[in-house]
This record gives sequence, C-alpha cells and structure tokens, in this order.
Amino acid sequence: MHTMIVLIPLLPLAGFVVTLLLGKRVLSARPEVVSLAAVTASWVLSMIVVAHVFGAHDKAIDFNLFTWVSAGSFHVQWGYLVDSLAAVMLIVVSTIGMLVHYYSIGYMRSDGGYYRFFAYLNLFMFAMFTLILANNYLLVFLGWEGVGLCSYLLISFWFHKKSASQAGKKAFLVNRIGDWGFTLGLFLIFTTFGSLQFGQVFAKVSLVSPGLVTWISLLLFVGAVGKSAQFPLHVWLPDAMEGPTPVSALIHAATMVNAGVYMIARSYPLVSHSHTAMLVVMIVGTFTAIYAACIALTQNDIKKVIAYSTISSLGFMFMALGAGAWVAAIFYLFAHGFFKGLLFLGSGSVIHSMSGEQDMRRMGGLRKKLPLTFWTMLIGALANVGMFPFAGFWAKDEILGGDFSAHYYIVWAVGIVTAFVTALFMFRLMFLTFWGENRASAEVQRHIHESPRVMTVPLVILAIPAAVLGLVVGLPPDGGWLHTFLQPVFFNVEKEHFAWAGTGGGLMALSLVVVALGISTAYVAYLRRPGLPARAAARVPWAYEASYHKFYMDEFYNAAVIRPVMGFAMWLWAFVDVRVIDGAVNGLAWLWGAFGRVLRPLQTGRAQSYAFGVFAGLFVLIILIRYFWGA
Amino acid sequence: MTAAGVVTLLPFIALTLSAVVVMLAGTFHTSHRLTVGLTLGGLAWTLAMLPVTAARGGRQVTELLLLDDYTLFFIGLLVLTTAGVVLLSYGYLERRESHPHDYYTLLLLATLGGATLVASTHFASFFLGLEVLSVSLYTLIAYPRLHADFIEAGVKYLVLAAATAAFLLFGMALVYAELGTMSLNGFALLHVTGGGAADTSLLVGGFVLIIVGIGFKLGVVPFHMWTPDIYQGAPAPVTAFVATVSKGAMVALLLRYFRGVSLNPHDTVWIVFAAIAAASMIAGNLLALLQSNVKRLLAYSSIAHLGYILVAFLAVGRTAAVAVGFYLVAYFVTTLGAFGVVAELSGAERDADRIDDYRGLAARRPLLAATFALVLFSLAGIPLTVGFLGKFYVVNAGARSQLWWLLIVLVATSTIGLYYYTRIVVAMYVEQPQALPSAPRPARLGAIAGSRASDAVLIVVAGLVLFLGIYPAPLIRLLEHVVAGLP
Repeated sequence: MHTMIVLIPLLPLAGFVVTLLLGKRVLSARPEVVSLAAVTASWVLSMIVVAHVFGAHDKAIDFNLFTWVSAGSFHVQWGYLVDSLAAVMLIVVSTIGMLVHYYSIGYMRSDGGYYRFFAYLNLFMFAMFTLILANNYLLVFLGWEGVGLCSYLLISFWFHKKSASQAGKKAFLVNRIGDWGFTLGLFLIFTTFGSLQFGQVFAKVSLVSPGLVTWISLLLFVGAVGKSAQFPLHVWLPDAMEGPTPVSALIHAATMVNAGVYMIARSYPLVSHSHTAMLVVMIVGTFTAIYAACIALTQNDIKKVIAYSTISSLGFMFMALGAGAWVAAIFYLFAHGFFKGLLFLGSGSVIHSMSGEQDMRRMGGLRKKLPLTFWTMLIGALANVGMFPFAGFWAKDEILGGDFSAHYYIVWAVGIVTAFVTALFMFRLMFLTFWGENRASAEVQRHIHESPRVMTVPLVILAIPAAVLGLVVGLPPDGGWLHTFLQPVFFNVEKEHFAWAGTGGGLMALSLVVVALGISTAYVAYLRRPGLPARAAARVPWAYEASYHKFYMDEFYNAAVIRPVMGFAMWLWAFVDVRVIDGAVNGLAWLWGAFGRVLRPLQTGRAQSYAFGVFAGLFVLIILIRYFWGA
Repeated sequence: MTAAGVVTLLPFIALTLSAVVVMLAGTFHTSHRLTVGLTLGGLAWTLAMLPVTAARGGRQVTELLLLDDYTLFFIGLLVLTTAGVVLLSYGYLERRESHPHDYYTLLLLATLGGATLVASTHFASFFLGLEVLSVSLYTLIAYPRLHADFIEAGVKYLVLAAATAAFLLFGMALVYAELGTMSLNGFALLHVTGGGAADTSLLVGGFVLIIVGIGFKLGVVPFHMWTPDIYQGAPAPVTAFVATVSKGAMVALLLRYFRGVSLNPHDTVWIVFAAIAAASMIAGNLLALLQSNVKRLLAYSSIAHLGYILVAFLAVGRTAAVAVGFYLVAYFVTTLGAFGVVAELSGAERDADRIDDYRGLAARRPLLAATFALVLFSLAGIPLTVGFLGKFYVVNAGARSQLWWLLIVLVATSTIGLYYYTRIVVAMYVEQPQALPSAPRPARLGAIAGSRASDAVLIVVAGLVLFLGIYPAPLIRLLEHVVAGLP
C-alpha cells in the first residue's frame, strides 16, 4: 500500500521529466502517450488506495519516507497521510486530472507546444497529489508552490499573447500575497509546536493559548484566500481564463483552487479551536459568494461567467467551513469539482466549435448543432444552481441548512439570495449559448460542428457524477455515506440535528423555489423578452456598471497599489538609482581603479611582485598580532 | 611498521602503485585512451580500498599518518574529484597533445600528496604531502608546453610555492624550538588550552609563518595574488584540480588541527583568521566584479568561497565542522562543473576564458549552457542548489556562534557575487554571439574527441548540484559521523 501511495505522485513526475526531455524529438509523433500513461496509472492506483481506505475504516495511513530537511532542531520528514479526507480529494483530483488529459488531446492537438502542455499538466498532477497526500505543512507548501508554478506556466501557455503572459504574472503576484501569509503561518506553527507534522501539531492544540491558535488559523486562511481566489485576492482567477480551457477546468475549477479549502479543512483541529478565525472565514466566504455571483451576472465572456461562478462556489465552501458545516463543505467541493470541471470542458467544446469565439453575444442556438455538449452542460448547470436531484442540490442545501441550524440567519439569507443570482446567471449563459438564433458571422456558422469523441466522452463521464453524486453519497441529508466516511477526520463536530421532515424540508423547498424563480427570470429576460435586461440596466445604470466592471476591483488595485508602487519605483530609479547608487557604483569603480593604479606595480604578473605581496601580507599579520597582543 | 599498518595504508599503496603503473605503461607508447583507463582504474582501486581500511577502525600508522574516518572521507572526496579531472583532461588533451601519459602520472602523484596532507599528524608528513602536491602541480600547470602561457604560469607557481614553503618550514622550526614536538596534536592542544605559559613571541611568530604557508595554498587574502594568474594560465582541467583538490586537502588539515582556534575567540590567532576571512570575502568578490575573463573571475570567486569556509571554520561546535565539510563538497562539485564547461569549450588554440566566448551559448549548446547556468547559480547560492544549502549551513553555524560581523560581510559580499555570476548567464542566454573568427569553432572540435567523458562529468555535477540542494540529509549524516572525532 505504501508503495502505491508513493507512486501516485511519482508517476506524473516521471512523465513530466520524460515528456519534457523527449517530447520534442523522440516522441514527436505521439508526445502525449507518456503523460497519459502516467496519469492513467495514477488514477488506477488512486482508486485502489481509496478502496483500501474505505475498507479499513477510520484507520489513516500515515508514514514517513525519509528525513527531508534537517538543520539543528528543525526536522521535516517527507511523508504521506491518506485518510478519508485525502481519499475524497484523491477521487476528485485523479479522475478529473485524467479526463482533462484525454480531453486535451482533442483540444490542443493543433497547438505548437503540444508536448510542453502535457509535460506541464503532468508536473501539475505531481504537485497536486503531493499537496493532498502530504503529512506535514512543509510538504503541503511544496505542492502548494508547485501547483502555483504550474498554474503560472499554463495560464501564460500562449505566452506570445500579451494578455496571457500578463494574466500569468498577475496570478503569480497575487498568490505571493497569500503565500506570504501561509509562510508566516508555517513559521508560527513551528515556533509554537516545534513541528510541522499534522499529527504532532494537532495533538498539542489544546495546550496552546487561544490567541496563538487564532493567529495561526488566520495566517493559514490568508494563504487560502490567495489560492482559492477569495475576496479581495480573487482578481487573478478571471484573468487566468487566458489559459487553454482544459487548464481552466482542471486547475482553476476542479483542483488547485480547492487547495485553500482543503488546507483549512485539513487544519480542522486547529481552526475549529478559534471562534474568531471561524467567523472571519465565514464572513469572507459569504461576502465572496454573493459578490462574485453579482459580477457573473453581467459578464459576456462565457469563461469569465464560469470563472466568477467558481469564485462564488468557493465562497460557499468557506461559508460552510466557517459555519462549522465541515462535511458539507467537503461534499460541495466533491460535487463542485465534477460539475464545474464539466461546465468548463463544455464551454471549451463550445469555443472549439465556434472557431475560438468566447463572447456569448455572438453565440446562440447551439442546442441542435452540439447536442452532446448541450445535454452534458445542462446537467452541469442544473447541478451548479442546485436543482433537485442533481449533485449540487444536496451539497448546497446541507450548507444552507448548516448555516440555519448554527443560527447564522443573515448568512443563510445571503446564501439564498446567492442561489437565486446563481440560477439567473447560469441560465442566462445557457439560454444565450444554446437557445435562440445564432448570432455569429456566416463564416463561423459554417464551421460549427460537434467536438471529436475524445472531447465529448470526458463530458459524458463527468456528467454522471454531476447528476447522481448527491443521491449516492449524500442521502439522507446530514447523515449520508460521506458523513460516515469523513467522521474520523472531523471527529468532534457538534451537530444540531433538526428534523428534515420539518424545518429542513421547508428550507429545501424554499431554496428550490428560489432556484426555479431564478431560472424562470432568466427565461423571461433572455428568451421571451430580450429587450428587458437592457431596459433594466438603463434604469439602474450605476448597478449595471458596477457589476460589469467587477466593482472596480482592478481599478482599485491599480490606483491603490500598482500606481503608488510604480511611482515609488520610478522615484527609486530616477533618484536613488541614478544619483545615489550609480554615484556610489561609479565612485566605487573609480576607487577600485585608483586602487588598481596604486597596486599596478604588483599586478604586472611578475612572480617577484607576488612574492613581495606575500611578504607584505605577513607584515600586516604581524602588525595585527602586535596590536591585539594580550587582548 | 606492522602488517596491520600495511593493510591500513592500502589506499596510499594503491594510489602510489597506480602512478607507477601509468608511468610504466607510458613507456610502451600505449594509447591515450588506455592511459586514461588505467588512471581511472587506479583511482577506483584506491576508492575500493577505503572501506577495507575503514573496517579496521581509525588507526595511527607510525607517527606520521592517521587513517580514521575523517581522513578516509576526505581522501575519497579527493579521489573522486581527481577522477572528474581525469575525465575532463581526456578530451582537453586529446585536442592538443600526442602523448600525454606523464600528465596522468603526475595527477595521481598530486592526489597522493593531497591524501598525505589530509592524513598527516606530524610536521614531516605535512610538509612531505605539501611538496609532493606542489611539485606535481608545477609540471601539470606547464604541461601543454607548446604554449608560453602555461610555462609562465608553471614557473610562477614554482617560485611562489617554493618561497612560501620556506616560510612554512621556518615556522615549523620555530614551533619545534619552543614546544619540542613536531606532532600536530601537540600543536592543536595549544589552542584548546588557550596558549597559557607557552604563549611566547617565538611561538606566535612560528604560528604566523605557518599560516602564511597554509594561506598561500588556500589562496586567501593577503596570499591570494597568485590565484588569478595561475587560474588563467593553467590548462582548464589543471585549474579545476588546483581549485579543488589542492585547496580542499589543506582545508581538511586546517579543520582538524586548527579547530582549537575557534574555541577561543580572544586568541590572537583567531583574530588573524577572522581578518583573513573578511578580507578574502571582500576582496574576492569586489575584484571578481571587474573581470571579463571567466577563469580569472572564477579565481577571485574562489578566494571569496574560501573566505566563506573560514567563517564556518571560526564558528564553534559540531554544526560548524559539518558546515565546513558540506561547503567544501558543494564547492568541489560546482568548481569542477564550472571548469568542466570551460574545458569542454576550449579549443586547441586557447582556453575559452573570455566572456565573449559564452555569448549566445544557450543557442549553440543548450544543455552545456544550462549546466553552466546551474553551476553558476549554485556558486551564487540560489535556492534548490547545493551552493545555497552550503551557505545556509555556514550562516547557521556562524549565527550560533554569534559571529555577526563576519556574517554581515558574508551576506553583503554574496550579493555582489550574484551580479558577476549572472553576468555570465546573461551573456549565454540574452546576448547574441559575436561574429566568430574564421578559426574552427572550438565547440566543434570538442564534439569529436573526449566530449563524452566530460559530458559524463557535467551530468554527474548537475545531478549532484540539484540532488544535494534538495535532499542534503544523507551527506549531512555522513559528515556528522565523520567529524564526530574533532574537538
């Protein structure tokens, strides 16, 4: 079993090395085979490991391979931990990772850097597996930085496009802020607990002052805010859509952006000890959920809409974590990975068939021409808005139920409103894309075609869990298979049971009504009376403008951060660098030149002068010793 | 000497016999390839003898030599490095010499000298080892005798090494006159006890003279002036040997017998070493800044690196000794890599030692350029390379002993290093190659003969730079075991 666990991240790493080195020349005919083989093998191994964890109930596999870093009293092991939380993550990461690899064969085939793309995908899989399987914070951090690096490489994969390379840089820089918090959190954990190993840290939580625990949790959460694109560090994720669509599906919807949620859930014994930290997590998550949903409402780029929807969904997960609905958060993560990955891959299929068009205003009527894409995306959309009985419904209602039963009524209300907005923008997307008349140019229309098998089959496969996952693992609500499975991880969650027949059923019915309302509003506004949205926007232009411009967050950062920094940098350059530093450097150069002129008689390359130098050195040493004599 | 002593000396016997075999084989006009094979075989044999000796436990053989785990570790390091130098020399000499057999004999003898230095417990063996090493080097530096540059460098080294050897000898005489013993142990004891009654001016004078001899071999300020000239003038593989084996053997000796210095920071000798360390870091880095010749640049940078090593040497405790050992290994690996690249690019006419030679190298030889960049980053101390961890351990050791001033100098001068190392990287990756002269491209020639051998060295170097930079634990464990016997 240990060997298998070690192999899960190791195989994609090997695939990365081989593909990068040999992909261009040796494997030039089929550069993808090695990386495909690697992820497929990893998937098989993952399934075996998951089955084993399921069988060996509540016995986590925790082992160290070797001492990784050792300096004085600082020892970190390279070790893995597979418990039920890691197992759930394994299912999501390995399955979607593998499907995206296959999908990419079709999507990226005509691209020049084909082999490079697969190499990076493999590297990403290695980093992501390391992140979720690590048994200590430092190894998590290694994976964390690794996925960040791959995200950067893949966002700016088409680096000759300026917007793509800019987006890559933006993602990298914004994530630095989060990583700064994470790193400080790690330092604080080590100085507090003297270890970075999960088991050793969590065992000692109750011995540490609550203030410290709060600080550690908040610093870790800063890292999560960056990686999982929460307000105010969410700005990188929409721009990250410049990357190829399979990347958006894998990294920016299904796996990497969940790392923050995973890390907070993994730190459950720590975070759940601090009421303040939980509250902060919940407030940030709730705000992000509604905020991002409002922006998604007015975006026209199909991928941007899904990107904001992802931010909103991640906000939902943090809302659940903060409210103490730990299992519900992981349930939502589990389901979200599948349906959001599906939506992204579906949008990729749409874009592919529309000759690269991403603006929904120039789409429409694709229902007939792309039947498979349409049906699978419809399932994804229904799951996302939380329609009965799709996966999202069960997960979302456990979260809202969790808020309600924890007496966070305002949070619950915001969640309900978010559900309405989500239904509205998600079906705006569906109606604009698949119904009505096609609004593209005649040239583009002529080329519309369903995507190849290698792309549609992953869609169909993903549609299955998006549809039925909730029925399989989430029933009965708050007591399904997933709850039993995750029980050992979130061992101490206080749960207030309320009767699902009474309050719970009412809440469910209410949220269903809200969702139906959202969908029908979208139907009226975008199909029956297409002039309506424009008139509504004209009535409240400030609201429309604010949403359309993403509440001016980019402008805010530009004015508040980038301009001052640039100004400071200009000042540094114009004054400090040119005058002070250059002056000093030139002065130093002059000094050394002068020195050189003085020493020139010794620097002629004659051995005698060097011998003289030795004498002089001896002389200096003797003077030195006389000076310090008896000191 | 007993039979057990003979068995203990097996590594030395193997090394000596290999030198004899290679020399005799040369008289039969054997091929270059066979000579290299014999040399490598001899080195492998020596290496294989190390565990045999180690299994018998640390043992003093006569008054002169001590073969404990510490000695054996460093002999192994020297032998492996020499093997790297041999492989680099193969292609290099194939391009310019017809019968380079004696070269390999001398290389083996020089290694023997270094090994003797590491094992010595007595002034006599110390001096003998040093001379065997030096005399071999005079000839090695001047070996490709058709070029005046090499001859000049060889003669220069001879004059200076002979002069400083005289200082060393005189220093030994003074110490003997005062202490009445030639044993290095008695010498080491002196520091541990803080000098005491024996702290007379004759003794201190003898001490300083010995430091001159050691300082010259290490190439530290103010005895550094030979390094740029010799580094530039010697053939690239020999330069690699001078920079690694010759200096490393002396560091090993210094670490064993002068450790006592670090236990007593008020000792005058401690202050002398601290001044040497600081001056080496400052002068080495600043002078490297102005260089446009890669070999000279590496010479100045090696002055600075020896300064860093001295910082760890002056720190107290087991961690400090481990830091010295680790830094030395890092320095060996990266230096071998750097001169390996220079050797591989050098044509028959001259060594590729101008920065201009490296312009646009990334386009012509991408893997070679990548290796050089990696090695330079390691020398600069960029994370994920062995050089970074080396510096980390040095700084860690210095901080534990609160050597704040030396650490400030170390960090400040390291940033200068960043500049001149990356300048070469920029030349390789950003700048366009100059219009090449009509002479045949050196890279082309290298591709014909012996470049496989140097490629192998460079691959091992690159692998080690990354491996030890990511996973240093095994080496650290080994070093902790090795230095366990030190004070």
